[in-house]
Amino acid sequence: MTIDVNDGTREWLLALADDKHLMGQQHAEWIGVTPFLEEDLAFCSIGQDELGHAALLYELLVGDDDAAIDSLAFDRGAGDYRSCHLVEMATDNWSTAFARHWLFDAADRCRWELVADSALVPLADLAARVEREEVFHRLHAERMLDVLMNDPDAARRLQRAVAQLAPLVHGLFEPAAGESAAIEAGAATGPFADQWSGFVAEVETRVGPVDWGDPPEQRARTQRSADWQPLMSRMREVIDLDVSATW
Amino acid sequence: MHTYEVFLKKDGRDEYRHAGALDAANDDLALVLARESYLRRAEGDRLWLVRRSNLIIGDPAFVAPNANKAHRHHDGGAVAARRKSLRTQKANEQ
Repeated sequence: MTIDVNDGTREWLLALADDKHLMGQQHAEWIGVTPFLEEDLAFCSIGQDELGHAALLYELLVGDDDAAIDSLAFDRGAGDYRSCHLVEMATDNWSTAFARHWLFDAADRCRWELVADSALVPLADLAARVEREEVFHRLHAERMLDVLMNDPDAARRLQRAVAQLAPLVHGLFEPAAGESAAIEAGAATGPFADQWSGFVAEVETRVGPVDWGDPPEQRARTQRSADWQPLMSRMREVIDLDVSATW
Repeated sequence: MHTYEVFLKKDGRDEYRHAGALDAANDDLALVLARESYLRRAEGDRLWLVRRSNLIIGDPAFVAPNANKAHRHHDGGAVAARRKSLRTQKANEQ
């Protein structure tokens, strides 16, 4: 189902969708290389869910034509994406990847709460569906944290990873331009930034005080980080073999 | 890490069936990982996890010797053969 939205709402939803899309891709790239088989399956399942959520959000914007969804997902110019730098960041460090999964899902929960009672009924319905799956993502992260924070070496690595990611997580809370128009239209029920202090308290309860630093320069999410282009090339690897092919 | 045996059951009258095993650091995590490893495609509605260390295991030397007691296999073969023989005998007498 497509929804008719103003430009601000469209930007807001693109930010949500692009974050989900790139996060799903990053998680999926861990297939075969996580520390143990069970975690491999769990992490990739979570990635698959994220990609599914992104596809449903893109569908809200362009309808259920697969080619249109693919085009929105893969064919925009760099400046037209609205992802944050956290989900663009490349890492081959498992503690960083795991910490990002935890922090992203906790932050994303705050964001989806803003559309749970959206005046756009299809969006509110989607929020309910997404939450049914996200509950298990958060459960996975939380139960892993219980174990890892009880082990001094693992806890140290995790705290290091959180410290490294903190400014980028700060950047996740930067909305795309037009958030006020999305709120005025009733698409979102409040500004994302209002969720920040609650999120910080939740994280620091688990890992202690964090120096969140300054968010990276994202210019209302129009500026890509250095890791974006290589990530997009990996995502487009098969498409780019023959862009005219029909799948 | 502990090893857990995974049992699944569809709701209704089906019995629990052994689906496989997994390794996890504790019971809570075992539940989460079992869900992702064995229930991704809704293979069951119910889940049992048993720590392998809690299984009571029969030694093969204790279990195997009953394998050669054909008389305990109630396939009715011996009775059927006897009845057939009696029928044949009776027919021959007439």
